[in-house]
Amino acid sequence: MDSAKSIYKTIERLTRETPVAVATIVSSKGSVPREVGTKMIIHPLGQHVGTVGGGCGEADVIKAGLNVLHSGQPQMVTVDLTEDVSMQSLGVCGGVMDVYVERWPKNE
Amino acid sequence: MSDPLLAALLQSIDEGQPVALVTVIRAGGPAAGWLGRRWLVWPERPPQSDSSTDLPAALLAQARRCLQEQRSQVVAEKIDGGPVDVFVEVQARPPTLIIVGAGHVALPLAQLGKMIDFDVVVLDDRPQFANKQRFPMADRVLAQPFEETLRGWPINANTFIVLVTRGHTHDVACLLEVLDSPAAYIGMIGSKRRVNAVFELLQKERGIAPEKFSRVYSPIGLDIGAESPAEIAIAIIAEIINVYRGGRAVPLSAALRADRRLPLHPGRTG
Repeated sequence: MDSAKSIYKTIERLTRETPVAVATIVSSKGSVPREVGTKMIIHPLGQHVGTVGGGCGEADVIKAGLNVLHSGQPQMVTVDLTEDVSMQSLGVCGGVMDVYVERWPKNE
Repeated sequence: MSDPLLAALLQSIDEGQPVALVTVIRAGGPAAGWLGRRWLVWPERPPQSDSSTDLPAALLAQARRCLQEQRSQVVAEKIDGGPVDVFVEVQARPPTLIIVGAGHVALPLAQLGKMIDFDVVVLDDRPQFANKQRFPMADRVLAQPFEETLRGWPINANTFIVLVTRGHTHDVACLLEVLDSPAAYIGMIGSKRRVNAVFELLQKERGIAPEKFSRVYSPIGLDIGAESPAEIAIAIIAEIINVYRGGRAVPLSAALRADRRLPLHPGRTG
């Protein structure tokens, strides 16, 4: 029940100052932490907003976001949470999600 | 200056108009150049592009279908002979929580309702309770008569109604106003014994069919042993989430339904 309005308002506000990358969960299979449509803003200075579920998967999404900010080329990140539970990766939900990462340019 | 697509999107969301943001998220072969393009799609008016590229008719039709289904999803199409995946992000209107009665339970209800991103409306006929100072978090606070206001309210399948007025006569009068509405949820406060007596009375005196009460969540809330106003509000909001998300938690009203041999009204999500 994330408010789409507030995330777009935030994108609008931030892009007055800087380009940002926006990650969106576009599809999922199995058990994943957040629903389709959930967004996270990756800020070039690290002031990220929102979450696509936290944990290792999110670190990959942030990394992709920083790449996308640099290249301008959209990227798809597949976050696989189906590994066995181990002490190294306790954040296991059991599903897979596709996260689309794109750049919203700065508005002059 | 703000991005025209973003500005139009925010405007539509603000006005409560159904709108979808359509983005090409995968594109191969001859369609590779389409990757990342975005459009806004409305049910009636022509789509708006971020790049002066027209949205292919097949995609427009798919996006409008998603709008109708109110479900964000990825759809596959061909453009210029190349395969593309397009994410159609439907901007759903947030559900509305109407809190009828502005007393002790209403306050934490309004706070929790905003926390879960509902549009929150508070209604009471006492202006000293129904006011913006007491409910700064609410989207609308109405100091108006209960029954007339509910009668004129555009209740739809995205409306959740909680009856927590200062007295059971008001609750029951309001219940009768909304009982036949398409609301997703109707909850009414009261003990099991009290509620049962009210339902029996309404059956006898108003000739209301007993099945009609099966949709009413009363006693209200999930069975978590709530006592204080805040705890009761949490039990109510948890019950609303349970209906909204199609969860499997047990409402307090289940026991009364079992006693009265009534099925649980199939909510919005089953």
